[in-house]
Formats: sequence, C-alpha cells, structure tokens
Amino acid sequence: QYERVGADVTMKCGSMDWDAAVTWTVNGTDINESHLNGSYLILKNVDLMQSGQYSCYEGSSWHLKYQTYLRVGTPPKEPVLMCRSNNYPKGFYCSWHLPTPTYIPNSFNISVIHGTKEMVCEKDAVPKNRCHIRYLQLFSTVKYKVTLTVTNALGKNFTTLTFDEFAIVKPDPPESVVAKPVPNNPRRLEVSWQNPSSWPDPESFPLKFFLRYRPLILDQWQHVELSDGTSHTITDAYAGKEYIIQVAAKDNDIGTWSDWSVAVHATPWTEEPKHLTTEAQITETTSASTSSFMAPPTTKICDKGAMVGSGAVAVCWTAGLVVAAYSVLFI
Amino acid sequence: MAGADSPSAALQRRDLCARGIRLAGKMRADVVNLLDAYAERQGLDASASVAAVEGVPPAAVERWDEQTATQRLLENLAAYRAFRALLAQMLEEHREQLGEADAALGRALAAVLLQVSAFAYHLEELLRLESRGAPGEEDEGEEEADGPPPQPRGLFEQKLRGLGVLRELAQWAVRSARDLRQLAKPSPASGSAPSLAESP
Repeated sequence: QYERVGADVTMKCGSMDWDAAVTWTVNGTDINESHLNGSYLILKNVDLMQSGQYSCYEGSSWHLKYQTYLRVGTPPKEPVLMCRSNNYPKGFYCSWHLPTPTYIPNSFNISVIHGTKEMVCEKDAVPKNRCHIRYLQLFSTVKYKVTLTVTNALGKNFTTLTFDEFAIVKPDPPESVVAKPVPNNPRRLEVSWQNPSSWPDPESFPLKFFLRYRPLILDQWQHVELSDGTSHTITDAYAGKEYIIQVAAKDNDIGTWSDWSVAVHATPWTEEPKHLTTEAQITETTSASTSSFMAPPTTKICDKGAMVGSGAVAVCWTAGLVVAAYSVLFI
Repeated sequence: MAGADSPSAALQRRDLCARGIRLAGKMRADVVNLLDAYAERQGLDASASVAAVEGVPPAAVERWDEQTATQRLLENLAAYRAFRALLAQMLEEHREQLGEADAALGRALAAVLLQVSAFAYHLEELLRLESRGAPGEEDEGEEEADGPPPQPRGLFEQKLRGLGVLRELAQWAVRSARDLRQLAKPSPASGSAPSLAESP
C-alpha cells in the first residue's frame, strides 16, 4: 500500500465491524489506541518513518484479520536526463536520475525518436539508469527526441531532450597521461597520453587535445591546443617547481570537449645537489639569484594571448627569451 | 587498375585526401558562419527543424562504415555538384531580392559557392587518379546535375529552402572529411590506401 508523505491514511481491519474490538500493530509493536477510530486505524500526516508492516488482530482470539505493508513516499519529480556520445560514430547513451528520492519503487521508460523512426534504447545491466542506442544513420540533420517517463504508485513525470547527432558528441578524457622531466633540461616536461579507449576509430575520427598545466604554487593555468599527436613537450616550466598537468579531448570536427583527465604531477629536471657539495653555498647563492631572476612572471607573460605559432604547438615567446637569458647566465 | 595501387599513386591519393580534408574543414567553418548570418538576415532560427528540401542531397547515410571508396567519392561528387547548382540559384535569388542591399551576405554566398566548386573539382581529381574518371554531369540525371527545376516560390519558402541547403551542406562538409580520411587509410592487404577499383 503506497501513500504520499503528508497524507491521512485510514486502514480498515478487513471485514471487521467498526465497533469490533481489535488490536493494531506496526512491525510487531502494538499501536496506541489513540490512533484508533473504532476498529479503524487513523494515521494523520504520514511521514517516511511510518512505513512498515501493519497488522490487525481480532480482540480476544488474536486472529489476524488484516495485514498490509505501508510504504510512504512521493510521486516522482521531473527526472534529469542526459544523452551523450562518447563512442562516436557507434552510438550514444542516455542516463537519468531523479532529483529527489521518492522512497518507493520507480519504473523508467525511455523512447527515442529520430524523424519518424522509433529507435530501441537497450538498457544497461549496470548501471540500471542507463541505456544505449546504435546509430542507424550518420550525418543526419534530423534531430533526435528522447523522452523519459518515470512512474511509481503515486504518480508519474517525464522529461524530453531534443538534440542533433553532432551536439552530444563528447569523448571520455584521455587516458594514461604521463609527465616526465627531460634530463638536463630544467624547463621542460614531456607529456604523453592515449586516446580514450571508448573512442572506437581515432584514425577516421581523430581527436584533438587541450593540455593545461600550472605550477602548484600558482592558480592560473597555461593552455595549449594540439591538433594532432598524443604528446607534447612543455618548454617554459619554472625550474624546480612541481607542476600539475591535465589533458582533455574533442573530436576534430564536432561536439564538445571531454572532462579533464586525471591530473598528473611532475617536476622538471634539476641538477643533483650532491654533485656540488663542496660549492654548495656558492650554488645556493647562485640559485637564489637566478630564482629571483626567474621569479614567476604573471601569467600575462605566457597566457594564450601571448602564444605564437602555427600547427600543433604554440610557443611562448616571452618565456623563450627568459630561457635564453637564463642560459647565457650559465655559460 | 594496377596503376591505382602503385606507391606513387598511393602517395598522390594520400596527398589529395589530406588537401581535401583541409578544404572540407575550411568549407565547413565558412558554411557554418554563413548559415548563422543567413538565418539572422532572413529572420529565421538557425537551429529550427527544417523538413527535407527537394533537390538537396541529404548527407545522412546508413552503414557509412561499409561504403566502398568508390561509393564515397561518387556520392560526394554528386552532392557537391548539386550544391553548386543550388548555391548558384540562391545567389541569383539573393541578388534579385536584395541587390546591393546585403552585399556582405552575397559575397559570403559567392565564396562558399567557389569552395564547393573547388571541392567538386578536387573530388574529380581523386576519381581521375584512380583511372575511373569522374562521371559526366549529364550521367547523374537531371535533378542532381541541373538542380531542381526553377519554380516560382514564395519568399518565405525561398528562405527556408536556403536554410535547408546550407544546413545540409554543413553536414556534407563533415561527412566529406570523414570519407576522405577513410580513403586515406592504408589498405590492410596491400599496405596502401584502399583501392578505388573495388566494386561497390
């Protein structure tokens, strides 16, 4: 028996007369007679805590006359629906959830229409709130219309999503991101990654990438967009500073950027301190002066607007000049 | 057809495909910009659903991954020849309606028409490379070679039609890039690009 939160519930003890002597229990515990109107059980303004097994027994014989499991819940609110293609051009999936729980079982029905054609959305075993569709056509201008209806014993609700084939294409983030220092290069970090394994045909549907990096001590990210390849060498890292690096992917032509990959950390190569033990103090002094020379510039020096270059790699000219000056200092 | 598989032909094919992909990318970007400008100028919603327009070759295709190289090239060529006629018609209508009043839109239309023509020629080159030769436009039938027969159309219908043409062209530009990437793939058997001598 399902009832809405806040409802008033009246339970009749089976076929017993109103004036019969009865005992009501909930989950095996006697219910106070103040809740009775004759042999009827009255529950006012029910809440979730009042869900349970309600039983009614005849007064003296304790014969069970009526039993029900009361479930208190709510009708469903408008569900939240999302559709995405992370394996273009194979197909797309839709997933959904309710913004607030109903506390009672819900069933979901999804319909996908492309033009006049109804398509089958095959439900995934895990997770349960997801189904996937195979594209029957590619490069269609006809929109897809997905309607999700959620129903429970207390009501129903629905939502509809309409979209183009291209608009929902969003790859998974790049995988296996690795960042390594470059020996004898205190300002370089080599970053490599792999296409997301869910992207079925990177040769015909190549991805482009967006790399962002910053030293942990700064908040502002540097960005580099790469139209091909799955590696990049950062050449303007601050010596000795630990960096955090992430990569995102996007189909070369359509759709939106993936989420950022898992972050990786790396620190550019620095000279081994033990090689310079006898001159440690001199080295430290020199390092201190170069640190002040190399004091982190503002990101205006090396932000996207200052990036110059064509093709796959952007170059920060100002950082290049700093590196050149730094090199001269050590000749 | 042995020449189609020679190493130099394979290199030429790859080069033509690479250039074609760049052309298609540029064309798509320009068509998308034109689509937005056109919709705004004509007081239309660029994202509104438009029914299939007669005479406009749909980019939508089933079993795209199963198409042979020849099918891809021939379908692309037929489409761009049709678009060439459709855009020429749009340009003519634009000049008749607005004259010099919206020269920028007219220039953008003309620029896209030029790119479509260039791309059609590029496809013909690819077909010629495979010794297949491009089919004559008269072989493609009246509808595709000459575009739809001119009929008197209301102004609103013309505007919607124009939107449909540009939208479908934008889809084709994406499809063409994908088709050319498929063509540029080395064939697993011969180690060279897939032979266009395959029968459909």
